[in-house]
Amino acid sequence: MLQIENLTKIYDDGTQALTDVSFTVEEGEFLVVIGLSGSGKSTLLRCINRLVEPTEGRITWNGRDITAADQSELREIRREIGMIFQHFNLVKRSTVMTNVLSGRLGYTPPAWSLINRFRKEDRVRAMQALERVGIPDKAGNRADELSGGQQQRVGIARALMQEPKMILADEPVASLDPVLAHSILGNLERINQEDNMTVICSLHFLDLVQRYASRVIGLRDGVIVFEGDSQDIRQLSDERFKEIYGEEAERLGG
Amino acid sequence: MDANQEPTVNRRPSLLYGALSLVLPGLGQAIAGQFRRGSGIFLTFIVLAGLSIWTVAQRARFPDLTLSAQIFWIVFLECAALLLFLICIRYLLNRFLIKDVSGQVFTQWGLIIFYAVAIFLIADSLLSNAGTSEELQQVYESTTVFSAAIFAVFWFWQIGDAARIGARQEIPSMGPAIASACLLIFVLGWNITQIDLPKAIEEYRDTQVILRQLIWPWEAAFEFEVVSVEATARVQAPCPEGEIGPPENEPIAGESWIIVTPTCGELSVLSLSGEFTPGTELTITGGNFTPGSEVEIFWKNPIGNPFRPRGVGETIIPIDENGEFVTNLNIPQALIPDTAVGAQIHTVVIREESTVVFTWRLSREMKLALVGMLETIMLGLMATFFGIIFAVPLSFLAARNLMSNIVSTISAITGGLLLAVAGLILAGLITGQISSLLGGLSENPILIALIGLVLVLGLGYLGWRLGSWGLATLGERAPAILSRILTAFLFALIGAAFGYALGLFFSRGIRAIILPDEVAALTEDRYAIFGAGVLGVISFIYAYRINFDGEIRIGMIIYAIVRTIMNIVRAIEPLIWALVGIIWVGPGPFAGTIALTLHTIAALGKLYSESIESIDPGPLEAIQATGGNRLQTIIYAVIPQVLPPFISFTIYRWDINVRLSTVIGLVGGGGIGFILIQWIRQFEYEAAGLAVWLIAITVSVLDYVSSEIRERFV
Ligand SMILES: Nc1ncnc2c1ncn2[C@@H]1O[C@H](COP(=O)(O)OP(=O)(O)OP(=O)(O)O)[C@@H](O)[C@H]1O
Ligand SMILES: [Mg+2]
Repeated sequence: MLQIENLTKIYDDGTQALTDVSFTVEEGEFLVVIGLSGSGKSTLLRCINRLVEPTEGRITWNGRDITAADQSELREIRREIGMIFQHFNLVKRSTVMTNVLSGRLGYTPPAWSLINRFRKEDRVRAMQALERVGIPDKAGNRADELSGGQQQRVGIARALMQEPKMILADEPVASLDPVLAHSILGNLERINQEDNMTVICSLHFLDLVQRYASRVIGLRDGVIVFEGDSQDIRQLSDERFKEIYGEEAERLGG
Repeated sequence: MDANQEPTVNRRPSLLYGALSLVLPGLGQAIAGQFRRGSGIFLTFIVLAGLSIWTVAQRARFPDLTLSAQIFWIVFLECAALLLFLICIRYLLNRFLIKDVSGQVFTQWGLIIFYAVAIFLIADSLLSNAGTSEELQQVYESTTVFSAAIFAVFWFWQIGDAARIGARQEIPSMGPAIASACLLIFVLGWNITQIDLPKAIEEYRDTQVILRQLIWPWEAAFEFEVVSVEATARVQAPCPEGEIGPPENEPIAGESWIIVTPTCGELSVLSLSGEFTPGTELTITGGNFTPGSEVEIFWKNPIGNPFRPRGVGETIIPIDENGEFVTNLNIPQALIPDTAVGAQIHTVVIREESTVVFTWRLSREMKLALVGMLETIMLGLMATFFGIIFAVPLSFLAARNLMSNIVSTISAITGGLLLAVAGLILAGLITGQISSLLGGLSENPILIALIGLVLVLGLGYLGWRLGSWGLATLGERAPAILSRILTAFLFALIGAAFGYALGLFFSRGIRAIILPDEVAALTEDRYAIFGAGVLGVISFIYAYRINFDGEIRIGMIIYAIVRTIMNIVRAIEPLIWALVGIIWVGPGPFAGTIALTLHTIAALGKLYSESIESIDPGPLEAIQATGGNRLQTIIYAVIPQVLPPFISFTIYRWDINVRLSTVIGLVGGGGIGFILIQWIRQFEYEAAGLAVWLIAITVSVLDYVSSEIRERFV
C-alpha cells in the first residue's frame, strides 16, 4: 500500500509543481493520473521514487518511509519500483539485451559492472521478459534500431527485470500511435492483473483512461481536483471536466 | 504649452552643437542627448590620436611624444585647413551652381578624391613646414601626413554629426566615421608592423638559394659515393740492351684500359748542372673512360708512391666522345732508392676525375630527421595516452550534470576530511619508513612510488569513509546540541587551517611584493593567525547554523575546483609548460611529454566533461530508477553515450599533439623540432628542408587518418 501525505514540491526556480497532495494506492490497483500539461503528473510520479526530491510531505510504502530513506535504503526501495518513461530512456547505443539487463543492476554487486557481468539466471530472466513483451528476436539489436513501440516494450521488459511490486509509468504511450498505445497499455494491464502488480500511470487520452484505469486522480496546477474510479470518468460532467482541464478545454470524442 | 515648446526645441541652432564638438570631440553629441555616441566618439578620438602620435614618435626613433604631438598637430591643422576649404567649395557649389542630387553626389566624390590626391601630392611640403630642426626632419614620413589627413576627416565628420543631431535631424550613419577610423588604423598598422614592399621585392633574390634548398631538399636525403676509375700499365726502366719489358696490356671490354708502348725505356735525368735529358717517349692509348671527361696521369715508382710527372708532357688529358684518348709522355725522372739494383717496374696510372655516385643509402641527416620524426610522433602519442588516463576521471568530476546532485551532510564531510588528512599523513610516514628500509628513493624508485601511491589512496579513502561514517553516526547518537557543537568545532578547525594558509599566502605572495621580503616575513604570523581566526569563526557560525546534518553541495564544490584548475592549466600555452618541463627534467623528449601531457589533460578534460554534460539525461534517470548506484549509472548510462565523442576528441587531440610536439621541440622539448632548429641555426637549409618535409608529410597523413577514424566512430 502506497500512502502519500501532504506532498508538496517546489522546484529550485520557485515553481510550485505540487501542493499538498495526499492519496492512497492499494495493492493491485491500476491508478491513472490525468491532468493538463504542466499540472504536475511527472513530478508526482518522480517524487514516489525520489527521482525528484519532495520538498515537504511523506510517502510511505508498505510501512517504509521513502522520503526518509538514505541512499542505500533508497536504492533498495527503487529496485522494487519499476519505471517506464514517455521517451523510453533506453541507452540507444547499447543492445536491447544490455538495456533489459540494466533493470537488474539494483540486485547486482556494483563491482561486477566494471566488467559488464550479470548473473546467468539474470540473462535467462531477461530473455523471458523480452518474450513476455513479444520481442525476443530483437535481443541482439542496438536499441536505436527498434521502432518506438518496440523500444517501449524494451522499457517495460527492463522494468519487469526488477521484479517490481509497483510500476510507475509516466505517459508511456504519449509518443506512440493509438494502436501501439493499446498494445503497450495491454501489456501493462496483463502484468497488473497476472502479477497483481500496482500500476501508477499518467495518461493523456480519456478513452484510454476509461479503458484501463481502475481508479483515476485528476491534477490541476499541482492540486488534486478529481478522484474516482473508471465509472466516474465515464460519467464525467462537463463542469467536472472543465475543472480538471481548464475553461478553454473542448471535449473530443468521449 | 507642449505644442509651443516643441518648435523652440527644434529651432535650437545646430551650429552651437557643431562648435561644441569642434572644441571637444563628442561634446556636441553628448549635450544633444546622444551621450553614448558622444563618449564613444571622444574615446575613439583619444585612442586614435594617441596611437598616431606614438607611431610618429616611433618612426622618428626619438620617443619624444611632445615633439611628435606638436608635429602631428601642425600637419593636422594644415590638412584641416585644406579640408575646410574643400567643404566651403562644396557648400558654395551646392548652394549656387549644382542643384540636382546626382550632381551633388558627383561633386562630393570628386572633392573626396581631390582631397586624397592633394594629400598625396603635397605630403612633402606639408612636412617640410613642420619644422627646421634636425630632429623634426626625421619625422619626414608620409605616415604622419596620411594619418593626420584621415584624422582631419574624422574631426570634421563628428562636427557635422553633432550639428545634425543638434538640429534634431535623423541620426546620421556612422559609416564615414567607421571607414575613416579603419583607414587610419590600417595606415598606422602598416607602419607599426614595418611593412616594406620594395625591400621584400629587392631582396627576394637572395632568398632564392635558401628557398630552393628548403623546398626541394631531397638530394640531402641520400648518401653519395665518390668513385674514381683507374687503369694501370707497367713500364720497365731503366732498359738495358735486349730487354723488352713487361708485356703490353690488351683492351678490356667493359672496363677502362690503357696500353703503353713501349713498355721499356730510360728515365729522364736532371744533371747536377741543371741540364735536363728527357726519358724515352711513351705512347699512351686508353679506352672505356667517360666520354667528355678528363683523365689525369700519375706515375708510380717501384716503391709504389704515385706522383704527377712534371715537364715531360701533358698530364690532364681530355677524353673523346668514344671514351678514348691518345697521348705521349716521356718517362719522368724518378728517384730510385740506392738499394734498388737493375731494372725496375714502374706503373703508369690513369685516373678519371672522381665522380659522385648516387647510392640508395639514407644520409646521416635523413636518418636523424626520421628518428626525430618518430620521436615526435611517439611524444604526441604518449602525451595523448597519459592525457586520457588522467582526463577521463577528471572529466567526470568536471561534469555539472553528474556532480550537481551530490550532496553530503556537513558532519560527514568534516569527519571525512579530518580523517582523510590524518590518513594521508600516516601514509606519508609509513612510506618514509618503508623507503628507508628499502634503501632510499634512489634505490627502488618505482617500487617505493607504487607503495606510496597505494598507501596514500588507500589510507586517504579509508580515512574519508571512516571519518564521514563516524561523525555522522556520532551526530545521530549523541545529544543533538552536543553533536551540533562538536561538528561546528571540527568544521571550524578545517576553516581555520584554510584561513591560516590564506593568511600566509597573503603575506608572502602579496605583501612581499610591496615590502622587502624580510620585513614581510617578520609579521607573517600575525596575518596567518588573523586569517585562521576569521575563517575559523565564520566556519563555526556557518556549521552551527546549518546544524550537524545540514547539507553541503560538495559535488558543486569539487566541480568548481576541478574546472578552475583545468582552465588555468589550459590557459597556459604548451610552450610555457615545455619550459617548465625543461627546467624540471632537462631538455629532451621527456620534457616535451610532460608539457604536452599537462596541457592535454586540461584540454581533453574540458572537451570530455562538455560531452558528458550534453548527454541525454533520460537513461541516467532510468538506471537510477532501477536502483543502480552511481558507478553503475556511469557505466551503463553515461559511458555508452560519451564513448563516440570521447574517441573523436581523443584522436583530434592526438593530431594536435603531434603538431604541437614539433613546435615544442623548437624550444628544446626533443623530437624533430629540436633537430630542425639546430639545423636552421647552423644554416643547413637542405637538412632543415628535409625536416620540414617530414613534418608536413606526417601531419597531413595524420590529418587524413584521424578524420577517417573519426568518421567511423561518430
Ligand atoms: N526540473 C524542473 N525545474 C523547474 N521546474 C520544473 C522542473 N520540472 C518541471 N517543472 C515545472 O513543474 C510544473 C509541473 O511539471 P510536470 O513535468 O510535473 O508536469 P506534467 O503534468 O508532467 O506535464 P506534461 O504533461 O507536459 O509532461 C511545470 O510548471 C513545470 O514547468
Ligand atoms: Mg510529464
